[in-house]
Amino acid sequence: MSHLIRALRAEQVKLRHTLSLWLVPMAPLVIVLLAVAQFSFANVHRPQPFDPVAVWKSFSQGMFLLWNFLMLPLFVTLQAALLAGLEHGGQQWKHLLALPMPRRTHYAAKLCVLVAMTAAATLLLGLATPLAGWVVMQVQPGYGLAGAPPWAWLAGRSLASIAAAGILIALQGWVALRWQSFTVAVSVGIAGTVAAFLIGQSEKVGRWFPWSMPAQVFAFNGVHLWFVVIAGLTVGAAIAVFALWDCARREYA
Amino acid sequence: MLAIQTRGLTRRFGGRHGVQELALEVPAGSVYGFLGPNGAGKTTTIRLLLALLREEAGEIRLFGETLSWQQRAPLREVGSMVETPSLYPHLSGRENLEVTRLLSGGEAARIDEALELVGLSADATRRVREYSLGMRQRLGIALALMRQPRLLILDEPTNGLDPAGIVELRALLQRLAGARGITVFLSSHLLAEVEQIASHVGVLHQGRLLFQGTQQELRRQHGDPLIIRCGDARSVCDGLFGLGEQPQLLDDDTVSVPAPRRADHEINRCLVERGHAIHAFGRRPHSLETLFFELTAQGAGV
Repeated sequence: MSHLIRALRAEQVKLRHTLSLWLVPMAPLVIVLLAVAQFSFANVHRPQPFDPVAVWKSFSQGMFLLWNFLMLPLFVTLQAALLAGLEHGGQQWKHLLALPMPRRTHYAAKLCVLVAMTAAATLLLGLATPLAGWVVMQVQPGYGLAGAPPWAWLAGRSLASIAAAGILIALQGWVALRWQSFTVAVSVGIAGTVAAFLIGQSEKVGRWFPWSMPAQVFAFNGVHLWFVVIAGLTVGAAIAVFALWDCARREYA
Repeated sequence: MLAIQTRGLTRRFGGRHGVQELALEVPAGSVYGFLGPNGAGKTTTIRLLLALLREEAGEIRLFGETLSWQQRAPLREVGSMVETPSLYPHLSGRENLEVTRLLSGGEAARIDEALELVGLSADATRRVREYSLGMRQRLGIALALMRQPRLLILDEPTNGLDPAGIVELRALLQRLAGARGITVFLSSHLLAEVEQIASHVGVLHQGRLLFQGTQQELRRQHGDPLIIRCGDARSVCDGLFGLGEQPQLLDDDTVSVPAPRRADHEINRCLVERGHAIHAFGRRPHSLETLFFELTAQGAGV
């Protein structure tokens, strides 16, 4: 455990002055700006029957769907590639793996950072949603946003989104660490995200596809929410264990 | 006490041998120059010594402790730089050292010490992407020194350095080996450099160790050639053939006898008696380069 803590502290230093770190606030900010722009300039209709809590949920769901469907898979893809690229680029592995520390620790630290960054960005979106709602209240009062945001609901759905991304995070992390090429990791992520557009719309198979699992937290009235949360946590953990085993057994030739 | 000892160390890549039955013996406190042509297996050996590759057969001991793919604890005694230094260009020199310090668990004061040792204290806060090649190489060595190693393993540390950088690096390694008693195991293509710095050498060819020992032992084993400077080298050559020697004509007025059969004074006397004008007569020590080429040529013929 002390090895992992040391490796995580080292990761913290490595992230200074990196695009990875900037992406954490930037990615949810893009969603917030898009949502505010959409509600500010588009013709919006007050949902009927009018219920301020339902309007808040509808508004928040719109933002989170955009995040979970599109931005989250791309965010995980890019972050995984950038985090692994820090080591692949300068051939750091030959230095790291020659340190008297279990090999898997370096890979475990990378996966932990990937999880932490995904969680931080998603929670930031959860926190920024009420702020975006307040802006919409000012510029588009006709939409009907009023009262306090549903904090508990927002917190629950944010955490569920993170959990549902478990398999996606483990898979993208493994691909990025396993193959040195940045292109491989990014291609897999983009292919998965594009495929998720089609597959995720299917109530039957959408919940089985890792890249569309986060979207299932909201899709079809959240009927698959618990399935994707539990699958994300358990299968994601299993894939992460496999990824650590696979990366640690590889030689640096 | 041996810093590195390998017995029967073997590693193949497909059907091709990387190294075969390698029996390295690197005395503690020595500077060991590990020589060999490209593809001889130097980098493979170094990667085995750092547990970056699995050994197929044989054993590695570092300061008497067994090192293997599974047993990596002896690496705590080792600092290494394999080919190019592993640096994060977006971080400063100090931050790069901080990463290694955190991973190795050393004290923060080690960073300043390492920076001072390699002469980078003044540039510690600059991003590494602004560093020259020589500065990067020195920072790579500082990274290797972060764990206060007893053994420094360097693979081609002079790669890409200009002459001034090479001189700086040589001085640094001499300081480390001399004042700090660190064992330095380095591979290099620059034989003249190794000749100046190494107390011991190992010559690897096609995965096999052809020689290891001190430079003096290597010279003793091969004998220095007899060099004769004279007025007419061709006629001296003929004369030497007449004496049963195997001379080589180096130029119009120089003849070399790599392994004379007679005593030097006897050869000299015979040549003078036959009327040859001898201007200079004596042994010239082999350069490491000459010995290296002789050894590898013999090795290729095996």
